[in-house]
Amino acid sequence: MNYIEKLIFILSGLPTTLSISILSFLLGFIIGLPLAFIRTYASRPLQIIVDLYEKVLRGIPEIVTMLFLYFGVGLVLGFSPFRNPFLAATVALGLRSGAHQSQIFRGAIRGVGGEQMVAAISLGLSKLQAIIYVIIPQTFIIAAPGLGSEYALLVKDSAYAFILGVLEIMKMTDIIRRTTYDVVFPYLTAAFIYIMLTFPIATYLDMWGSRRKRQLGL
Amino acid sequence: MREVVMECRNLWKIYGDIIAVKDVSLQIREGEIKIIFGPSGSGKTTLLRCLGLLTKPTKGEIFLRGECLTRPGIKLNKYRARIGFVFQHIWLFHHLTALQNVELGLRRVLKLPKDEARRRAMQALREVRMERWANHYPAQLSGGQQQRVGIARALAMDPEIILLDEPTSALDPELTGEVIDTLRDLAKEGRTMLIASHEMGFAREVADEMIFLDEGTIIERGPPEHFFTNPRTERARRFMARLIKQTMRER
Repeated sequence: MNYIEKLIFILSGLPTTLSISILSFLLGFIIGLPLAFIRTYASRPLQIIVDLYEKVLRGIPEIVTMLFLYFGVGLVLGFSPFRNPFLAATVALGLRSGAHQSQIFRGAIRGVGGEQMVAAISLGLSKLQAIIYVIIPQTFIIAAPGLGSEYALLVKDSAYAFILGVLEIMKMTDIIRRTTYDVVFPYLTAAFIYIMLTFPIATYLDMWGSRRKRQLGL
Repeated sequence: MREVVMECRNLWKIYGDIIAVKDVSLQIREGEIKIIFGPSGSGKTTLLRCLGLLTKPTKGEIFLRGECLTRPGIKLNKYRARIGFVFQHIWLFHHLTALQNVELGLRRVLKLPKDEARRRAMQALREVRMERWANHYPAQLSGGQQQRVGIARALAMDPEIILLDEPTSALDPELTGEVIDTLRDLAKEGRTMLIASHEMGFAREVADEMIFLDEGTIIERGPPEHFFTNPRTERARRFMARLIKQTMRER
């Protein structure tokens, strides 16, 4: 196997790596954004539940959640939707990302400030309308750099899925290592691909968010 | 006598052991302008916030055209739309242009179609002489310009009364003039307004009544001339003297 062949083989894991990263990011977003608003505006008991969710999921190593979803859920419930390794990995990452994104958005909501809500309410907007038209658009701008880092984290942590045998970049790299005994080129290649997947997006979001924040005086 | 637009009866607002508003009753009739003034911490902001339905009073009643707004279970959103509010620290929506700031309530609360909302928003911006700046973001405007947009935002909803909470006190002295001019225009149009302000020249010119607030309660009230010539209470007299001295110094 020459280097080109090795590279192509490793790259064949790229679509799977991207799918896990993007889908878990979206799942994290769907969980995290509402949680952030609950944590900010809802009643105390609900806030405590959200807090607990954040603390628990941030406290468990990703690999434990993944293996538990894959092996454990079936034994506990008697059936399991997570016998698909791709799904187990994606959901495990998404659940934790939900905890992270909840924190990112909560900080951003605080950055927007309660005054914007009061001003919106004074026009007769409902609280929900105020959240949709006034708070969320500003929240995204403030949260952009944090979301960029979160996305980068998910791309990197998607490598854990290789433990479950998902054919993503890390798994492909491992196969090359085992079959060719080359331990240098495959890992350097994988490292390079991960950097290319994370660095540009995280940097772009960071710059865009910072510039927009400055322009709007947020 | 003209119809009473807004009224509060025996209004109280208590935070913990601080009494912010203490047994305040007042009425504002159609086309009237009343000025509230008093030292900082005297409860002006809290009183206006209660009347603007932005803070729930602890006790007492608020009426808008005879309708009680403090009865339990009432949906406040649609009443807030009928009461304009201008904030001391302006609080424009940072992510929206001047025009979009004014349009938001028209589109989402009054549910006007896009063209109609735009037309009315531009009209309101024209009234505060800000139409040239319609497409600027708040961060690109001076404090005085921002506050004029803040006034346009309230004005565009065509409210029955506008409550203004010290609209010029957060601005640099050289910028207060343009905002005062705008308010003068509104006064000429016969808008009903309750204004917390220490701009005594302006008050003297437009106010139907001035209300002196201290420690959360109305100490003295009367037409401007009453306060400028011969306030009854010692507290009002001292406060007026201080304000007038301060105004002279600024000039």
